[in-house]
Amino acid sequence: MIVIYLLMPIAVLMAAGFIVAFVRSVKGGQYDDLESPPLKMLLPDEPVSRAGERDKK
Amino acid sequence: MGMGEFYALREKSGTFRRASRPPAAKAAFAYLDDPEFLRLYSEVVDDERRMTFYLEGIHCLACLWLLQKVPEFAPGVRRVEIDAGRSTARVVLDLSAKAADAAGAFELLGYRPHAVREREDEELRRREDRLLLMRVAVAGACAMNIMLLAISDYAGASGSLLNVFRWTSFALFLPVLGFSAAPLFRSAWASLRARSVSIDVPVCLGLSFGFLSSAVNLLRGSGGVYFDSLSTLVFLLLAGRLVLARAQRGAVERSRLLHFLTPSMARVLRAGDWKEVALDSVKPGERVEIRAGEAVPVDGVVDEGRSHVDASALTGESLPRLAAEGAALFAGTTNLDAPLRARVTACGYRTRLGRILEEVERASAKPSQAARAADHAGKYFVGAVLTLSAAAFAIGLRHGPAQAFQRALATAIVTCPCGLALATPLAQSIAIGRAAAAGILIKGADALERLGEIDEVFLDKTGTLTEGALGVVSWEAEDAAATLAAAALESRSAHPIARAIFARLSESVGPLPEVKDFREVAGEGVSGRIDGVSYGVGADEGERGGDSASPGSIATAVAVTRGGRIVARAHLSDRLRADAAQTVAALRAMGLRVRVLSGDSPAAAAEAARILGLTAQDAIGAAMPEDKKRIVSASPRAMMVGDGANDAVALASAFVGVAAHGGMEVSLRAADAYLSRPGTAPIAALVRLGRGTRTTIMRNLIFSAAYNLIGAALALSGRVGPLFAAVLMPLSAITVFVSSMLGAADARAALEALP
Repeated sequence: MIVIYLLMPIAVLMAAGFIVAFVRSVKGGQYDDLESPPLKMLLPDEPVSRAGERDKK
Repeated sequence: MGMGEFYALREKSGTFRRASRPPAAKAAFAYLDDPEFLRLYSEVVDDERRMTFYLEGIHCLACLWLLQKVPEFAPGVRRVEIDAGRSTARVVLDLSAKAADAAGAFELLGYRPHAVREREDEELRRREDRLLLMRVAVAGACAMNIMLLAISDYAGASGSLLNVFRWTSFALFLPVLGFSAAPLFRSAWASLRARSVSIDVPVCLGLSFGFLSSAVNLLRGSGGVYFDSLSTLVFLLLAGRLVLARAQRGAVERSRLLHFLTPSMARVLRAGDWKEVALDSVKPGERVEIRAGEAVPVDGVVDEGRSHVDASALTGESLPRLAAEGAALFAGTTNLDAPLRARVTACGYRTRLGRILEEVERASAKPSQAARAADHAGKYFVGAVLTLSAAAFAIGLRHGPAQAFQRALATAIVTCPCGLALATPLAQSIAIGRAAAAGILIKGADALERLGEIDEVFLDKTGTLTEGALGVVSWEAEDAAATLAAAALESRSAHPIARAIFARLSESVGPLPEVKDFREVAGEGVSGRIDGVSYGVGADEGERGGDSASPGSIATAVAVTRGGRIVARAHLSDRLRADAAQTVAALRAMGLRVRVLSGDSPAAAAEAARILGLTAQDAIGAAMPEDKKRIVSASPRAMMVGDGANDAVALASAFVGVAAHGGMEVSLRAADAYLSRPGTAPIAALVRLGRGTRTTIMRNLIFSAAYNLIGAALALSGRVGPLFAAVLMPLSAITVFVSSMLGAADARAALEALP
């Protein structure tokens, strides 16, 4: 069972990694508008290239 | 641009409606580039100017597709960011670009833009939303990991392994307590400082007690630790709040109300010239011009021109009224057929409309009943928890201090109002979410709560029970020549009755003959000569008042005369909606008293009531906005369904105000609920949802209270240890969760039955 002492910190670190990733995506504004992105996905690609110019906030 | 794609998408998304009104000329937006206006409504960052517009009528995928094309053809527009949830477009412009060009582009696509001021508190609110989301995420992630570690504890791990697991749990719990639960503690502390007890107080008490005893047990190396239950509790509470907050988004933003109902510019006489200026700068005493088809921006008195004015949005009158010199004009009404010039008597919040909106604002600032009830319950709860724990300690003392502490702790944990705190908000937010998915927007949890308590319904007639537009229901003519003559005469008039008749006849007749000596007398009708024979179209005096000729309608009769003899008759009406009678029957079957409340004539209101199967006493006609308010507020548990700015006061002062489809979008936001679906069926579904949610909440409360009582009894008698109590604790929350979902399933069935 000694391996558990190795696995546990790894598990906790992974969890922490995901939390950090989530917090970053929230701060980046990815969760501000949950209504238009599912629709935007269906749009043709052309306008998206336009949206790619927008500055990173 | 490839319009083919747009139509394909439009077909697919199916929900597309476009206003039939013609786009305003680009010049109408010239006021946007007024330096004063730009200073107030835009923000310059580096080399670009940012402005926010509210766009009328964004509902689907095709809309987003279209709006994203704006930068491609509007000069100087760099980017357009659409927020479909708030129906706003953030536009980024070159400094040299004209805002009017961007606005004109939106208008051209059929989305009328209204410049809105981006307020600082909006940025603040966005930050708060994000913070809450992060708190939920942290609580969720930590709770799941702690739970994983706790399983080994329950399964009987021992020795150093158990110690490591427990200390890891402790470490994982710290961010939950310090970061995620912070708002709970803050609100509990705030309520204590205000010398009151909110539901957060017992929750925080349970959290602190649980944490402290777990930490002590951890240090002592004996006894249970409850980090798993505590973190799950925090996660569930916060998740419930998040769902609730999201559902409540898009509620009233009152400062915007006036912008929606009146144009944001006016044509004013300044230094001998008619100039387009921002409405904010118009002063009483100036002269304004209102062209045909435009909304009246201010209150005023007509001093030049003659035209019909549609006041249905303000007063509920279904027929336009003639405004000539000396007549009063009100902001929010629409000038229909000829230019009018008027002297301004009041602007902004001092107009009749503005005063109505101010009252709306005041009425919607009432404190929430739900919040008070929860606080009230919390006060008793915290007392009960403390008393019971003390009792457990006292009872347990007979078996020694260690046993006494165990029992007190088990009692405190088992009585923690986890399920109780969730019972109400969760059921409500799920119901609100379901309603929103069905196109019914409910403004807040307490509105939903009140919906479950109503015993009386007032229905506005124009636009709610009726279609809201005049139509010809019957046409009888002696010969084809009479039909042709009527079509020719009515084609020359702009009166709504004439338009309705022409719309009906134009399909069936060929080329129109020439009309000579055409004359239109306001309030009487039109006349002229066709092929040497004199014809007239006017009110049919002999038939006025309506008869059985047109069932299901409130009729206006029109007669066509040839040389003074009647040769054709038409009945026009604002038809009752097809499902109105069914809805009224459904509402009455639920034990509600249903009444018709209308600004139209008492006869029209009584006729509508008769068709709907109501008695004449249940019809109230000729009710001005102020009357409606008085009548509605006289009934303590009444729901008012109406639309338009005229009903706003009544909607806001009613126990529950529901804005029906078809009115002006924003004034509807003054109500407690907004039906975005056509027809009257959503009214019955809404009442069902309110009642269903009430039942669900009762069930939740009974479940969690029973759990707490039984748990407390077991803990007091020492049959349940702290560990078992901690396992049970999230169970009560889960029961409440399942019960809420089941409750929402009934509600969903009612909502899905909508056409």
